[in-house]
Amino acid sequence: MSDIINVENLIKVYPGGTRAVDGISFSVREGEFFGFLGPNGAGKSTTIQVLTTLLKKTSGSATVAGYDVDKDAREIRKVIGVQRQDTILDGDLTGRENLTLQGHLQRLHGNALKKRVDELLTLVELSDVADKRAAHYSGGMKKRLDLASTLVHKPRVLFLDEPTSGLDPQSRVAIWEHLETLNQDEGVTVFLTTQQMEEADRLCQRLSIIDHGEIVVSGSPVELKHQLGGDTITMSLANGDGGVKDRSKRIVSGIQGVTKVLDTETGLAAYAKNASALVPDIVRLFDENKIRLTSISVTSASLDDVFLQHTGRRIRSEELSKVDTWKGHV
Amino acid sequence: MYDALLDVWHLYIRALKKTIRTPILIFSALALPVLFLVLFSQIFTQFGNLPGFPAGGYVQFVVAGIIIMNPLFDSGGAGESVVEDINSGFVSKMLVTPVNRAAILFGRLLHDMTMVLFPVAITLVLAYALGATVITGAPGILLILLTAAFFALAMSGLTMAIGVTTKSSQAVASLDLVVTFPLAFVSTAFVPYEFLPGWAQAFSNVNPFSYVVNAVRVLMSTGFVWSTILAAYAVIAVFAAVTVGATLFQFRSVVK
Ligand SMILES: Nc1ncnc2c1ncn2[C@@H]1O[C@H](COP(=O)(O)OP(=O)(O)OP(=O)(O)O)[C@@H](O)[C@H]1O
Ligand SMILES: [Mg+2]
Repeated sequence: MSDIINVENLIKVYPGGTRAVDGISFSVREGEFFGFLGPNGAGKSTTIQVLTTLLKKTSGSATVAGYDVDKDAREIRKVIGVQRQDTILDGDLTGRENLTLQGHLQRLHGNALKKRVDELLTLVELSDVADKRAAHYSGGMKKRLDLASTLVHKPRVLFLDEPTSGLDPQSRVAIWEHLETLNQDEGVTVFLTTQQMEEADRLCQRLSIIDHGEIVVSGSPVELKHQLGGDTITMSLANGDGGVKDRSKRIVSGIQGVTKVLDTETGLAAYAKNASALVPDIVRLFDENKIRLTSISVTSASLDDVFLQHTGRRIRSEELSKVDTWKGHV
Repeated sequence: MYDALLDVWHLYIRALKKTIRTPILIFSALALPVLFLVLFSQIFTQFGNLPGFPAGGYVQFVVAGIIIMNPLFDSGGAGESVVEDINSGFVSKMLVTPVNRAAILFGRLLHDMTMVLFPVAITLVLAYALGATVITGAPGILLILLTAAFFALAMSGLTMAIGVTTKSSQAVASLDLVVTFPLAFVSTAFVPYEFLPGWAQAFSNVNPFSYVVNAVRVLMSTGFVWSTILAAYAVIAVFAAVTVGATLFQFRSVVK
């Protein structure tokens, strides 16, 4: 199958000098559900803006549906649907009017448009409130209406920038289900960005982990987690200073079955096939070496572990530390 | 081309819906000329008796000024709405569709040309009740409405240019005031040319507002004086070309 998105060596430097996207290459096949997983400021939105013709790239090449983002922007706009990170609607218009206007801008008219709008209102379960002003919708309803507004013209490629951020778990699952339906039943190619590993894990057939404007690793979620060689054993140390951590690391690495040991903020993460079976050994060895463990737990490896493996950080840690410094200033 | 016109039409309808659903906007647009006409006709009536004042009295004189004040004072909404659309992201939501770029602006401009007709009509009706007349009759009234609409295009172009450049509705509101006040008051709108001090006459000579007011005034009190009317249209055309042109030019950096 042909590539519907093709990006080579894409660089975007903002006027201020920020290298938001720093030489990324990837491609997405037609019909694929593809994702960018990365923390705040990784360059996800910037990439989406370049691919959706909203932002000029600095260098490199990018095509969508075979069209060049610089030369054939007009053609691209006919075949893409774009949901930006912030929900964008006209609050003075009703849900139905928002969708109809979007259809008009895509040059759809008359009964065909009317039918399509009804269909979408049903799909995102907003038929009941279709004639109420969008300003009065709840956050989840607004997100669903925004999603529907990107679908009016049956785009071939859908770009979604963190489509479920800030939503409650129920609304999130509802959006996931809509997206799965679109991709599986209607064959829409989806390019999604997210900071949530569960979201990437559930939805994406393939994904790239992006950090500081660079792609760190790409693959299917299963493949990526497989590279870690098993489940995760997370250990928190009472005294995390360098020496203790290094000693602990040597101890854990020496245990048979452990494939990898990584540093975390509060201790270590180790990976092993028979993870649960190793816990008693670990506890005993730490005891013998007088290293105090505050907690130990076993979970199946997640994409967050993949992120940790490649960047040395948890995907959320940056955001958390940001919040902390902010609190510090108050 | 056909697509572009349809885009303008749909965005025009959107703008109208937004305004109609915010009744306070309509109310203030209608209240302003009523307030001015009532106040001016009470406070300045004696001016009409001054030697050298045009025949017909102060109300007959000032109506033209108040009519054209509507497009002048109602123009801020255009700049503010484009700022809102840029900052809310709505413009970028439109930009990822094939919509004609200029239509995003022209839909709103057409809205302003339409909406200004209501306060102008109210002004005419109230002026009639206060004893003023339009000597050129129905054709003259139509031409007055057209002139006001055309001037609204130029003025809304101005606030839009400010909005697209600054992306701040506060900047639109304050700059708008700085521009509209001298235009309105250092002009022939409320005082005959001969009564203005020398410096004000000089300013009035280059003030587009004066030309437009003069055209409406001859249509009300003198007749179809084409030299005055065509001069107004020439001035508006240049003014609109500059303001709308500046808006389109500045908008290119938003569209980029
Ligand atoms: N308009 C802009 N001008 C200058 N710098 C920008 C601009 N937009 C983004 N940046 C910077 O570029 C980098 C990447 O930002 P981007 O918005 O692409 O990240 P992101 O992955 O979408 O993050 P988030 O998850 O927080 O949305 C950041 O350092 C950001 O500060
Ligand atoms: Mg983002």
